[in-house]
Amino acid sequence: MAQFEFKLPDIGEGVVEGEIVKWLVKAGDEVSEDQPLVEVMTDKATVTIPSPRKGKVLQTLGNEGDVAKVHQTLVVLEVEGGGADVGQPHAPPTAQSAPPLPPQRAGSPAPLSTAPGPGRVEQVPAPRPQPGRTTRVEVPQPMASGAPSYGQAPSAPGGSGNGEQRDKVLATPVTRRMAREMGVDLGSVRGSGPLGRVTKTDVLAYVEQQRSPQPERTEAPARPQPRAPGAEERILLRGLRKRIAESMVRSKSTAPHFTFVEETDTKALTALRARMNQALAARGEPKLTYLPFIAKALVAAFRKYPHLNAVMDEARQELVVKSDVNLGFGAATDQGLTVFVVKNVESMGLREIGSEIDRLARAAREQKLAIHELQGGTFTVTSLGKDGGMLATPIIHHPEVAILGVHKIKQMPVVVTGEDGDQSIEIGERMNLSCSFDHRVIDGHVGAAFLYEVIRGLEAPELLLVDV
Amino acid sequence: MPDWNIIQAVNDALRVEMRRDPRVVVLGEDVGKFGGVFRATAGLIDEFGPDRVIDTPLAEAGIVGAAIGMAMYGLRPVPEIQFSDFIYPAFDQIVNELAKLRYRSGGQYAAPVVIRTPVGGGIKGGHYHSQSPEALFIHAGGLQVLCPSNPVDAKGLLISAIRGEDPVLFMEPKRVYRAARGEVPEGDYTVRIGEARTVREGRGMTVLSWGAMLHEAEAACAQAAEQGIDPELIDLRTLWPLDVEAVTRSVRKTGRCAIVHEAPRTGGFAAEIAALVQERCFTSLEAPILRITGWDTPFPYTLENDYLPLAPRVLKGLRGLAAYLP
Repeated sequence: MAQFEFKLPDIGEGVVEGEIVKWLVKAGDEVSEDQPLVEVMTDKATVTIPSPRKGKVLQTLGNEGDVAKVHQTLVVLEVEGGGADVGQPHAPPTAQSAPPLPPQRAGSPAPLSTAPGPGRVEQVPAPRPQPGRTTRVEVPQPMASGAPSYGQAPSAPGGSGNGEQRDKVLATPVTRRMAREMGVDLGSVRGSGPLGRVTKTDVLAYVEQQRSPQPERTEAPARPQPRAPGAEERILLRGLRKRIAESMVRSKSTAPHFTFVEETDTKALTALRARMNQALAARGEPKLTYLPFIAKALVAAFRKYPHLNAVMDEARQELVVKSDVNLGFGAATDQGLTVFVVKNVESMGLREIGSEIDRLARAAREQKLAIHELQGGTFTVTSLGKDGGMLATPIIHHPEVAILGVHKIKQMPVVVTGEDGDQSIEIGERMNLSCSFDHRVIDGHVGAAFLYEVIRGLEAPELLLVDV
Repeated sequence: MPDWNIIQAVNDALRVEMRRDPRVVVLGEDVGKFGGVFRATAGLIDEFGPDRVIDTPLAEAGIVGAAIGMAMYGLRPVPEIQFSDFIYPAFDQIVNELAKLRYRSGGQYAAPVVIRTPVGGGIKGGHYHSQSPEALFIHAGGLQVLCPSNPVDAKGLLISAIRGEDPVLFMEPKRVYRAARGEVPEGDYTVRIGEARTVREGRGMTVLSWGAMLHEAEAACAQAAEQGIDPELIDLRTLWPLDVEAVTRSVRKTGRCAIVHEAPRTGGFAAEIAALVQERCFTSLEAPILRITGWDTPFPYTLENDYLPLAPRVLKGLRGLAAYLP
């Protein structure tokens, strides 16, 4: 028997730590290979981490809610015997995800693994475990819960080794890009296509498999107990709630906010949208919400005020002005607030923006957003919905420098001055916009002018179409 | 607006420009008294006389050479090469002289000649009346090469070509000379050179075509749509300058691309487009770019319907493209 220390693997994406959300095993449990051990939430996603070995749990380290660093030991297992396969039970077969090679390996294929099987595995020879000693094993990416999966053609016998594996994964360019953006190593994905080609579906299924299952995570008791007078309840902030708390504090304590509110006349916009939706309905296409128009108005306003479409580089104290407009949209989910990002809004049409928002909002509700769909925002829009009040003070999605809160459209009496100077009261339409800015880099008059530019676009929406 | 075919639209475009600009002259074999073998110049000699509608000897190098000279002296000649299969005697004049004159003279001389010529098969014309030589002239450098698929574009592009300063090869798809009809704007009407036209929008794949095969591609796309494929069809119409933006925008959206033309495959314009698409849209591609083209053979007289990429073959190709697992 030998002991096996299982460490939190480096799961890519620049993730350096993860919060232990839920233990799925406890000391004394027998576990089989691939049995889920623990749920860990990183900045962006919750992943279930399976056991790389069969054995008995001697110890679990860390409580639920604790943060574990990458390469920190999570579980100690007692495993059968030892032997050559103790080395790297689940090392994915590519050079990229393998640990750095020792210098003597450069250019020399000498110490390749003798493990049989398809696909050349870049392995660092593990020290042979001594009975009774702890074997320290680094597991780069054990989350590919299955056995090593090589959809691609087997490597040529007697090949020279280094770096060849990458060339042997079959995939189309778009799949390669998708995998790169999602931080998925194609070599770890089982290819279901012809000749073992890794398809987009395979990559999506792989990502899905990594982040699910998310069993019922109760953050608060479902059934309220009858309370004694003076009783209180303590709810530990964890999971997404903890992330939200952290990012709100970071934003508010880093960026001095000011909020500016103004109303916009939406009569022209409502009419235009109604006409467009009539045409879309006739074509059997989904309706446009107001958000694509707001996105277009923002893009137009950024042209005049580019500093609003920017992020702060806090380390260097630089404002990074972006040319791509990647709009974040706040979405309420069962777990809490999520912001998904629609990329390159500046090059999209209204319909395209609308369908992308729909798609991402659905993915948010189903908790299927990919990491790249949560990152890279340059400005955020938060739709305050039907109970949005008349003004709000939205908190900036740091490190962005501004956020726009959109209130609902209301009918109200407005004073109209005719051409002859006569004044009368009419039923008008108004929508309030509450925009918060990072006052370090956006002066008050600039923020106000920016919001008026957005309003100009929304009040004369036909102008937004000029550059479409 | 009158409902016209391509012949009527071309005839109208010539008439509009000849009325507007006295420098515009027409020359070619049988373009005058006879009115052109396809009737594209019918009636012009009656209105503008034999000095502006000139019957020439059967000598293509002479027709183009004379047109170059006329253009250098300030006229706007629109020579007709009766079939593009007959254009090769004028190849040297076109490639070495016409296409290069502005370059060679450092911009001092222009030769704004618009060579009209019917192209393509499908009319039981055999080898000498069926070829599609666009790739040769695009490759030559210095020429604009246009090929409308319908009467509206035929009129708009021909007028734009006559008004431009560059030499233009204006290819008219003879298979649909009379079959393609449409409401053509009367009087002054132009279509900007360098702009493709999206015929049908879709998200499943991008289909690029032009000229007579555009209609086959359109029929195939309609059937493909019934089978759930959702193709986006683009009529390139101006082959060179190519609307690269329209093509790449579409392919980035769809991830797949098919190119349909009737010229032989090897060295055909589809090869150039495929290269451009992979250079510019590589990481969007979900499948290899598909060429659906004529075969690498001489144009076959008896087998022309097997040679041409007609709708059934296009549909088969599109289905295969859609089935490729990304």
